[in-house]
Amino acid sequence: MTTEVFLQSLVSGLTQGCIYALIGLGFTIIFSVTGIINFAQGEFVMLGGMLSYFLAKSAGLSIFPALIVSIIIAMLIGAVLYLMAIRTARKASVVSLIIITIGAAIFIRGIAGELWGADPVAPPYFTGDGSISVLGASIQFQALWIVGVTLAVSIVLHLFFSYTMIGKALKASAMNRTAAGLVGVNTRTMSLVAFTLAAALGALGGVVIAPLSLTSYNVGAMLGLKGFVASSIGGFRSHIVTILGGIALGIAESLTIALNWGPFTSAYKEAIALVVLLLILLMRSRKLSQEERES
Amino acid sequence: MLATLKKNRWSYLAVAAFLLLLVLLPTQLLAEKTSILILIGIYSMVTVGLCLLMGYTGQVSLGHAAFFGTGAYLSAILSTRYDLNPWLAMLVAAIATGIFAYLISYPIFKLRGNYLAMATLGLGIIIWILFRELSQYTGGPDGLSGIPNFSIGGFVFDEKLERYFLVWLFCVGALLIAQNVVGSRAGRALKGIHGSEAAAESVGINAAQFKMKIFVLGAVYASLAGSLYAHHAHAIGPNAFDFMASVMVVTMAAVGGLASIWGAVFGAATITYISQDAIVELGRSYPKLAELDVVIYGLILMLVMIFLPKGLFVSLRDALDTWRRRRAQRGAAT
Amino acid sequence: MSGALLETKALTKAFGGLTAVDKVDLSAEVGKITSVIGPNGAGKTTLFNLIAGVYMPSSGDIVFEGKPLGNAPPHKRAALGIARTFQNVLLFDNMTTLENVMTGQHPRSRYGFFEAALRLPKARREEETISLKAKRYLNLVGLGMHADRNPLSLPLGQQKLLTIARAMATEPKLLLLDEPGAGLNALEKQSLSELIRRIRDMGITIILVEHDMDLVMGIAEWVVVLDSGQKIAEGTASQIQKDKRVIAAYLGEEEVAE
Repeated sequence: MTTEVFLQSLVSGLTQGCIYALIGLGFTIIFSVTGIINFAQGEFVMLGGMLSYFLAKSAGLSIFPALIVSIIIAMLIGAVLYLMAIRTARKASVVSLIIITIGAAIFIRGIAGELWGADPVAPPYFTGDGSISVLGASIQFQALWIVGVTLAVSIVLHLFFSYTMIGKALKASAMNRTAAGLVGVNTRTMSLVAFTLAAALGALGGVVIAPLSLTSYNVGAMLGLKGFVASSIGGFRSHIVTILGGIALGIAESLTIALNWGPFTSAYKEAIALVVLLLILLMRSRKLSQEERES
Repeated sequence: MLATLKKNRWSYLAVAAFLLLLVLLPTQLLAEKTSILILIGIYSMVTVGLCLLMGYTGQVSLGHAAFFGTGAYLSAILSTRYDLNPWLAMLVAAIATGIFAYLISYPIFKLRGNYLAMATLGLGIIIWILFRELSQYTGGPDGLSGIPNFSIGGFVFDEKLERYFLVWLFCVGALLIAQNVVGSRAGRALKGIHGSEAAAESVGINAAQFKMKIFVLGAVYASLAGSLYAHHAHAIGPNAFDFMASVMVVTMAAVGGLASIWGAVFGAATITYISQDAIVELGRSYPKLAELDVVIYGLILMLVMIFLPKGLFVSLRDALDTWRRRRAQRGAAT
Repeated sequence: MSGALLETKALTKAFGGLTAVDKVDLSAEVGKITSVIGPNGAGKTTLFNLIAGVYMPSSGDIVFEGKPLGNAPPHKRAALGIARTFQNVLLFDNMTTLENVMTGQHPRSRYGFFEAALRLPKARREEETISLKAKRYLNLVGLGMHADRNPLSLPLGQQKLLTIARAMATEPKLLLLDEPGAGLNALEKQSLSELIRRIRDMGITIILVEHDMDLVMGIAEWVVVLDSGQKIAEGTASQIQKDKRVIAAYLGEEEVAE
């Protein structure tokens, strides 16, 4: 593999990885605050991309307003998901909650398929489809946007969690739900905020990558899975590790495609995320069985 | 209250009625739907195994279709490529699947709840990818075809009706075995694990081992069902065993009631009917609605789990029990 | 020490920086009722869970019938003859009262999946035995007439008796009772004391963790007092009541409460 190919892989891996990072953050936030794995997280990514395309095309909105409206709509859907599905099933078991969010994911995917058909679409680039050349690798403007947005989001989230009341309350709920409740944090509102925030992050990811990699009604599943892997790398708690994990995953996938080595053709690229997932779960299971002996 | 075999007139009567129905359906009542009835039998077997796992150990498996697939593919490969007798192929497939399930259950059951679900999800998808990519053995995305029929001596199961009875013979056998297990010491152990794992351990129940055993049982059931499927459809492809297939089976279990064995049949029947029949019919009249099965599964899953977490079948049965009890009380009072 | 069914030797359990149980030597004599008491946070529950196998010791040993228990998990200890009840009851609410007790027979029965699946005669015979024995234990605690009820429909006092029946069904040599008196009224505590004595008279060794002093002093033949993870005194009930260190430990608790 030449340096050029390597660098190019790095770039595309970094780009893809940023999306995984954003999706992963959504998982982490919801899980740390509510203890629920939101299987519908990937669908918010899909919604972001699809909505921005159709708002730009049909409603004739220019790009940035379309983005904002898409994200807002996704947030609303996230809120509705929480209020109608999760909160209603108050004392549901883990099994039930998992099935509910899966049901929601499929439902959203199905409706999207009905509304918008099965053909992949691509919303317009933010600032055109040009690219710059760095060390022989070409980096598209959109890719720069992706990395930039991810960086900006990370910083904003950090400030949000550290300096705003809601952010601090959310962080407290994530750390210890009961204690947060005792000091007056309304944990139910926090759960709602968590879902809405996660939906926004997912949609943002979708909005920003769709121009580059096309989108269609069923991209949510695999993207969600990979975002989940990123989140699991971060232990469902650490934002920074989630982000780094997502990026690492993106790069690993991209290198696999470039290597195209032996029986592991590029078709196995999807398997990477899954293998990483299983490895992490395996490590976690060892830690869990240790914890179990303690509790 | 979970299903314990109440040895009274009613349950024997119910079973007899069920068996009668089984005979009448393909011959008199719904003869033109025999294919669907066969599928219901096959999916009931898959679902029962899942119900036992999810209902009794409270753990979710989102990759159960993978075992269905290993049964189907192994049966197909062994009987086409290696000319193995289909019965032997089915046996080998079941044993192989069982061993595989046993091996992966070790690391898997160290996990709980969400993590366990994700692990099963990941494994299910990996196996599906293998079905799709190991084209040398599996025929790749196009799958395998030309799978022979079962036969005993000179009698070949080439008629739908014959396959129907074969499938349901296996299915009823599987249901009865499951029923026996549930009513036994092992069944109590499983219920105990579900009620309180700590308490179960305190009375000598090795929770981890039981979870693994029930997981293997479910896998073997799914494998047998997969073999039956292969020799019925005569052609299989990876898409019958993907994530959506696992979701479909979970939906069947949810609708039936996670801890109910007969509920599994109800769930399998309902969902199979919806996906194979109702939607096809709707599709003919309203072409746009034909793709709706995904939306409908999602809706059913959500609604059932939110409002009837015990499952449709179990909730109906409990409601019937309560109604009967109230009537008896009123009768006694007057 | 001869005559001891269970002994802990320098048993220690630390959680991170906190040492919950600190080099405790406990000895439970065969056929006697030994009680572990101490103010809140003394480490009684941790000690209890160490013996039950829920926690693994950081250091030290637990020796049962002369053999070290090592890392044996709870289900193995049940098979060896150590049974326990839970402070927060932990009934199986998805089966009848009788079936709850029948689960206790798990380590004393053998038939497995295969025999169950085909309802072989061995399975049916064992089921008969299990059912009979379970009924006996249910009668022992006085709940015989509630065999078919859902355990959640029983009042707390009877639920606790049910868990004792369930533990007894494992045919233990050592019975660990975790605050059995909590939440019971005076009359129920009276019956509980009688039941515990009856169990002792059946030859079963009992270790009792309990807060209610009257209950303890009424039935315990040997009392071990913990404070801040350490054993500060042991002796007969009357000796303990007069022990200055014990009084100080409990008074300290009272002072804080005021």
